[in-house]
Amino acid sequence: MWPFTASMQSVWLALYLATFALHAVFVSTVAIGTGYALVRKDALADKLRDWLPFLLGAGITAGVAPLLFLQLLYQRRFYTANLLMGPRWGAVVPALIVGFYALYLAKASVKWRRPALGVGLACFLFVAWSWTEIHALMLAEPAWRAMYAAGDRIYAEAGIVPRLGLWLGAMAALFALVAAYLAPSRLVALIALKGLVLATVCALVIGWNAAHGWSYILLAAVAVAAGGWGMMLATGRGLPVATGATAAALVAGAVVREAPRLAFLEPVRDEAATAGGFPVFAITLLVGVAAIAWIVRTVRSADS
Amino acid sequence: MSPLDSSIPYYPVNEFGPLMKGLVIGGVGILHVFLAQFAIGGGMLLYYFEGLAQRGNADARTFVDGYFRILVLVSFVVGALTGVAMWFTTIQVGARTLGLMVDEFHWLWGTEWVWFAVEITSGYAFYRYGPKLSARARRRLLLMYAVAAWLSLFWINGILSWQLTPGGSGVWAGFFNPSFWPSLVFRTCVAATLAALSACIVINTMEVSREQRVVLIHRAVRFAAPMALMPVLALWFMAVIPEDSRSWLLGGSMPMMMFVGVAAGASTLIGGYVIVGLIVKRLYINGATATMLLVLAFGATAAGEFVREGARKPYTIRDVLYSTSLTPADVAALRITGATAGDPYALRDAARYVTPQLARGAKVERVLCDACHTMRGTNALVELTRTWTDDQLRLNLAKLQRTKAFMPPFAGNADDVEALVQLLRWERAGAPATWPETQAPPQIATWLDEAGVK
Repeated sequence: MWPFTASMQSVWLALYLATFALHAVFVSTVAIGTGYALVRKDALADKLRDWLPFLLGAGITAGVAPLLFLQLLYQRRFYTANLLMGPRWGAVVPALIVGFYALYLAKASVKWRRPALGVGLACFLFVAWSWTEIHALMLAEPAWRAMYAAGDRIYAEAGIVPRLGLWLGAMAALFALVAAYLAPSRLVALIALKGLVLATVCALVIGWNAAHGWSYILLAAVAVAAGGWGMMLATGRGLPVATGATAAALVAGAVVREAPRLAFLEPVRDEAATAGGFPVFAITLLVGVAAIAWIVRTVRSADS
Repeated sequence: MSPLDSSIPYYPVNEFGPLMKGLVIGGVGILHVFLAQFAIGGGMLLYYFEGLAQRGNADARTFVDGYFRILVLVSFVVGALTGVAMWFTTIQVGARTLGLMVDEFHWLWGTEWVWFAVEITSGYAFYRYGPKLSARARRRLLLMYAVAAWLSLFWINGILSWQLTPGGSGVWAGFFNPSFWPSLVFRTCVAATLAALSACIVINTMEVSREQRVVLIHRAVRFAAPMALMPVLALWFMAVIPEDSRSWLLGGSMPMMMFVGVAAGASTLIGGYVIVGLIVKRLYINGATATMLLVLAFGATAAGEFVREGARKPYTIRDVLYSTSLTPADVAALRITGATAGDPYALRDAARYVTPQLARGAKVERVLCDACHTMRGTNALVELTRTWTDDQLRLNLAKLQRTKAFMPPFAGNADDVEALVQLLRWERAGAPATWPETQAPPQIATWLDEAGVK
């Protein structure tokens, strides 16, 4: 099924998309959750403050895998965009470190809670903007030489703002996906709905790609998710439908997001094509998933 | 030409002012290695102390619950993020090197990531739920954390040691390369030692009697006992690395030998204190002394990493990729086309160069020298060549790998050599407003041919 074929590159692509989707759930919860905890004082805000440091750690860890597969799929473009943005791109690392400790501070200190959450939110928005920018720059090969010659570190392209808006909207919906299980409320449903609306508007600004079926799957999933969140807002029910459809929209959205970039997939390099070790990775992945499942089961039984 | 079309990848080159790039990646790398090894040893030590606690030592339980928070707050956060930073800084210094490593070992890197994910998950689970868990679950969780952390080291160690001693063809011959085992055992010993020293600091902060601290300290310092093996492991490592690399460390390169000395000296001091003072004589160690030893251990780690990186010269991947990010085949090709013929990126400061030849020299410097040198800052080209005569410059650059064995061959043609010579002379003269253009003397081509491409 498009875009997957019987090739090693498709295996990398599938793993990239799957791990990226997982990463997106965690970082969305962190970014929007930090904002929520900053402005709200309720049970969800309390739970978020408690969980945010862990969720950021999980998001960073989950982000390593798509970063690995990205280097196989778009190596020269990714490295070039990194180098063009230079130290300004590298600033995402200290921003994340500052954000991480800000979340710990917000958890530990009532006095410093609001400033810490404000700093954390600023850091995470900076990182979101940086990723949006580097994604756009990777695709903008004609702009590379002029950008380098001018010594510019910021790629100010018109499409970045709507793309960031799309992401913020999608992140709000993904945040709701997690928040609804931490402390379900109609406000969470409203956040999800507003996020879906923002993402849809921004997607229309960017342009609708009707060339493949995934766009329609995404459209259908968003419509069902909106219905589910709307039902939850109106009646307090509909959470399973909303979260199921939002998860489906995440998967379809990951593919739709990738679609324009697939034209830039780099030819498979010999070293990568012939690299061994896949069986070891596959077995380790199964063992790792089982180990993490055991950990989750163990701590849940301790918590209950 | 598009930057994506050339057979040799040309990437945009960034400069970091007076800092050479090696210092940038070295700074990040040393911090990352130190924290990551601390986290690995910490996992082993926690598992051991949890066992003590479950056999009735209440102070050990207090230690586990206190120590773990520090482990989480420091090593998880900064350790994990500096790992990502290592990728980003490696792209800045040698994108092609990282790309080749990812291409060759992506499945094993993915395997390492799985263990890292298990490490983080089990660590957080213990951090958050430890007090609520049964004794059995606590031990299992800590065992899982310790094993996953060590396996993360196991997999990354094979990839990193491959750079110096690539071994045979095929992923497993590359992974289990000649320096794999000595590196792995050495790093495991270092990890255990760092954990022991950190534990001594933490124990000194615990509000218990001195007698109780003594008991805990003498348990913790057992983890530093493997330091006694380090001289043997170092000799093993020396024995398996390439002969020329060994020669740098044993006197061929004064800075390298000094760093070997720093690493060995600091390790001897730590080992002597810990093994003789704490394990054999059963002395007490206070927080200040333990902190000083840990700082020494940081110095030893830094020196050791410098040695490991430096021993690879003139390669970033032995026999495959030079420190210029060029293969031997690329060098042969660039001898014909010139170093910058395929470079699509203009100079950022092109207006500064008063002749086309100087501008060409600047591009040659950017492609061939900038990875390890600066013009006037650290490892400055102007200073390294200040006393060379003009013909000496031409000869030494053309026969670069003969001039210094840890330098790669010059990957350009005679006009590139001459352009670089004129650039260095012009910079040395204070970058005057006028400068004569010169022709490359015929002898340069002869010297390049004599030097060869390897």
